[in-house]
Amino acid sequence: MPRYRVMYAKEGPARYISHLDLIRAFERAARRAGLPLAFTQGFNPHPKLSFAAPLAVGTAGEAEFADLELSGNISAGVVAKSLSGVMPEGLRVIEIRLVPDSAPALMATVDLAGYTARAVLAMSLDKEMVEKAIAEFLARPEILVERRSKSGEKRIFDIKPGIITMSAQINDDIIVLDAELKTGSSGNIRFEELLGAFSENFCIPLRGNFVLCRRALYTAGRNRQDMLW
Amino acid sequence: MNLLQQILPLVKKPARYAGGEWNVVHKDWENTEIKVAFAFPDVYEVGMSHLGLQILYNIVNSRPDALMERAFAPWPDMADKMRENSLPLFALESQRPVRDFDIVAFTLQYEMSFSNILYMLDLAGIPLLSGQRDAEVPLIIAGGPCAFNPEPMADFIDIFVIGEGEEVVNELLDVVSAGRRKMLARKEILLNAAMVPGIYVPSLYQVFYREDGTFLKIRPLRENVPEKVTKRVVKDFDRAPFPIKPVVPNTEAVHDRMMIEVLRGCTRGCRFCQAGIIYRPVREKKPETVLRQTAELVNNTGYDEISLTSLSTSDYSPVLEVIRAIADKHAQQGINVSLPSLRADHFSVGLAKEVQRVRRSSLTFAPEAGTQRLRDVINKGVTENDLMEAAGAAFKEGWQAVKLYFMIGLPTENDEDLDGIAQLAKDVLALGRKNGVPRGRLKVTVSVSSFVPKAHTVFQWEPQAPVEYLKRKQDELSKKIRDRGLTLNYHNADLSLIEAAFARGDRRLGAVLINAYQLGCRFDAWSEYFKNKLWLEAFRQAGLEPGWYACRSYKYDDPLPWDHIDPGVSKQYLVLEHKRAMAGILTGDCRTGSCTGCGVCPALEIEPFYAGSEQ
Repeated sequence: MPRYRVMYAKEGPARYISHLDLIRAFERAARRAGLPLAFTQGFNPHPKLSFAAPLAVGTAGEAEFADLELSGNISAGVVAKSLSGVMPEGLRVIEIRLVPDSAPALMATVDLAGYTARAVLAMSLDKEMVEKAIAEFLARPEILVERRSKSGEKRIFDIKPGIITMSAQINDDIIVLDAELKTGSSGNIRFEELLGAFSENFCIPLRGNFVLCRRALYTAGRNRQDMLW
Repeated sequence: MNLLQQILPLVKKPARYAGGEWNVVHKDWENTEIKVAFAFPDVYEVGMSHLGLQILYNIVNSRPDALMERAFAPWPDMADKMRENSLPLFALESQRPVRDFDIVAFTLQYEMSFSNILYMLDLAGIPLLSGQRDAEVPLIIAGGPCAFNPEPMADFIDIFVIGEGEEVVNELLDVVSAGRRKMLARKEILLNAAMVPGIYVPSLYQVFYREDGTFLKIRPLRENVPEKVTKRVVKDFDRAPFPIKPVVPNTEAVHDRMMIEVLRGCTRGCRFCQAGIIYRPVREKKPETVLRQTAELVNNTGYDEISLTSLSTSDYSPVLEVIRAIADKHAQQGINVSLPSLRADHFSVGLAKEVQRVRRSSLTFAPEAGTQRLRDVINKGVTENDLMEAAGAAFKEGWQAVKLYFMIGLPTENDEDLDGIAQLAKDVLALGRKNGVPRGRLKVTVSVSSFVPKAHTVFQWEPQAPVEYLKRKQDELSKKIRDRGLTLNYHNADLSLIEAAFARGDRRLGAVLINAYQLGCRFDAWSEYFKNKLWLEAFRQAGLEPGWYACRSYKYDDPLPWDHIDPGVSKQYLVLEHKRAMAGILTGDCRTGSCTGCGVCPALEIEPFYAGSEQ
């Protein structure tokens, strides 16, 4: 059955759709579009739909990826066109390509994610000071955060190996923090963990809170421009 | 970066507040004359499961001169964030403050949501008392089943809509729109609204009490305001506007599926049931209409399940043919049919079998009472034989779990009736074993609620059993219903007492509501938020007692605080039915037998409509 890779944005009100609800949103959109979703066999069939990496509720995604399988051959262009008209506000199809059966699963493909956090500064802040704080932060031998397992047990985890880059910009009263973090089955760092650990030692005076966005998802090693195609 | 964007990542389930769902209607604010906010006094997932919201949303937004947006009760974590940031209650579509609308429309689905109406008004920055509102403040209107005894909410609501909203909502919007064009004062608009049939404006009425504190009468303050407000009904239900493009939530609602209302009203005549009176007469939708609307819903929503909703869907005359036709047409699209409520009879199990290809959920039956004697008193035309046959059929068809609904504290109840509940539960369990349901899988759940006398029912004169009695009986039941495979749930008796006080309350309860809200009561329909102590304190502060309202009996000729609201069913009929109840005489359904003389058809100049019968 043909498999399609969907690059989409998850913005505006859609940024608050949870991962589980997102699966339903795609399923319903496909049904509205009249696309014949392929279903798993068995007692409780569900659509063959998989996502590259769950996105934290509230974080926008500018270039997210999902694979979906259809039970009929339809050109990727037609799938893109018919899905585009039926997505809820903020879910936007950017591009759809047919992927070969042999292509590895999205979840196995993703390795890195690029994030941006934006916030309004409560008082003016020197860019160099922030850069210095970032340099010191990244120079630490380990960066420990507390994680909770599903059973609620706390454990300490070193996120440092998963931080690839981190940088800051300040434009007037807006501060922008960028980071590239390990994502996927070979190690996964949440952007909130990084921001939390960073602000433990360096307090950024904010008016309100950071608004988060995942800019892109990348494969390991290959050209960054390729993303997950 | 707007404020909401910064707050939402910090609260639970932010999709509740984000809007942007499929089929949402965005209208041009500046160029739309009348703006209505539909306010559901519970959380998003509950409110979005309410068909009435979708019906009115469709009707109002179909008008070129009006718009409707939605607001729900924010969960307390969100309310805290809103207060911290001075963010008033807003509507989801435009994110504009609710107080910027012309009309805020609440639905009164259950008494325990009343505190949330005060909570939402307060969050919106709207004065709680209608007497304190000026021209700048939206008109606060309310409808739904609890509007049939509007008095406890009379201090807070400017306009009540009694009965079905499909037609009267347009008439009301016309009055408001004309009033605004003529620059009429708020009081003038209210007076004009009071002339519309089905509209009750409580500030135009005065309540009189006797010296002993009992209710005496309620009278209009002005000549041309009607003494009695008669409910509105949709005469041609088949052609009534139906929302074929409902808003599809982005987060899972309680009822997360398409809803097609196949009939309205129920004339089975259970004597405790308010819905059975206020939604009379029975009107069915034609099968072709159901099928056409279903096809449109499937295309417009993308849901994979459709529920045929009504008070009693197995009573829908063409139910089997409609279920089969939907399956024929939509099964290949992966669409399942579901039925919300089932009668305890063989036919219903057959229906359930028809719709459920996979037997994952349990089947629910509501015998309501434990003995035939008491079932006859309440006019639940179900015999033990019916129930056993239905349960047996369910087990044979592969269901392994059965739920049984009962009530305690019903009029004339005695120990035998309670023993009967335990016995029925055990019998159903034994039947399951006999039919070979594996021991580990077999589950019989007994849900016991407490009888709450409601306005306009046959039992409106009856007292609620004292809360101590209810608790004692719950204890006794939990000792009797103890077996592997049996589970007993019962409702909080303290909560039932408060519910009963409001269900038959009068206007003085407004003070109790204010006290309760100020003491911190909200989300009282959620057991984790219901705080009995605060409610008792709220009553005490107002110099009132919940038991005085809940546990008192009325005489037939006692004036009742809801006598000025007319559901079309005559009081003489309710008296007659009450006498028959006490004598244990069953009354048939006018759908199958002869007219029972309830009076609704002549009073409202309407007739029942059964699909498939000659018109």
